[in-house]
Amino acid sequence: MSSLLIAGHEFHSRLFTGTGKYASADAMMDSLTASESELVTLSLRRMDLKNHTDNILQPLQQQGIKLLPNTSGARTAKEAVFAAELAREALETHWVKLEIHPDPRYLMPDGMETLLAAEELIKKGFVVMPYVHADPVLCKRLEEVGCQCVMPLGSPIGSNMGLASRPFLEIIIEQSRVPVIIDAGIGAPSDASLAMELGADAVLVNTAMAVAKRPAQMGKAFRLAVEAGRMAYESGLGAKRIQAQATSPLTDFLGALS
Amino acid sequence: MKIVLNDVPYEFTGNTLEDLLNELGKSQQGIAIAINQQVVPKSLWCATELNEQSQVFIFESIAGG
Repeated sequence: MSSLLIAGHEFHSRLFTGTGKYASADAMMDSLTASESELVTLSLRRMDLKNHTDNILQPLQQQGIKLLPNTSGARTAKEAVFAAELAREALETHWVKLEIHPDPRYLMPDGMETLLAAEELIKKGFVVMPYVHADPVLCKRLEEVGCQCVMPLGSPIGSNMGLASRPFLEIIIEQSRVPVIIDAGIGAPSDASLAMELGADAVLVNTAMAVAKRPAQMGKAFRLAVEAGRMAYESGLGAKRIQAQATSPLTDFLGALS
Repeated sequence: MKIVLNDVPYEFTGNTLEDLLNELGKSQQGIAIAINQQVVPKSLWCATELNEQSQVFIFESIAGG
């Protein structure tokens, strides 16, 4: 299986993961370790001055996993740029998962604000990974302004509905000259496998791993699915046809018995 | 001096941002600070003095997707 290059960084795993929704930091680490993911997302919030928060940074860094802060909570380009600058200080990385969703019900990404923020962040030297709708036009625009990859959604965040946007994802994959990472809605390893078979460069999975009864085992299941899907894609899948095409030679060797 | 910390009035006895973090008992790892809507680079925390009514926001990294 080939490795994946984003902004000069080589990834051996094509499974990117989120750190949200796990029951504990230990469950998260077990799951991420089993998944062999090399890139995980984190969020920012105003510090809780009264309560102690579990330190999840240390185990992630010890494991050598690359951190990808997101701009979740931003509703406008201006807020997202501010969040990215805070994240750069907090996590000492100029990589950012740009996500702007003004509507808390469906968490639909705002494409216009995302494009504006991407342009500004790229000028400021960030590696921008934009989370967007499966919109082929927008993905091209983001590529043109210098995004190092695009992250179109399969279906709404946390919905487990899989690749509801499949026809549009296929167009994006076909057109894109930067890596395409399918993010959001991937609910089962089969969804991840399908994304890879379609030619996606990577997938980002969070909820499906975090809320599983056995998060570590699910992490492994996703790892295997992503590897299987990518290997199948690189091996070259056969074309689909309506008619049967025999795999055994159809000779008339039993003809004499009738 | 009285500052405003994460939108709440706060009585601060030190001078710099680093003093503030020490006073709060917070590690410097995984956090970012903004004063009056401007991000302050980590390298300047020890030299950045707070003033009466400074609007300080401290952010921390947490789990997220």
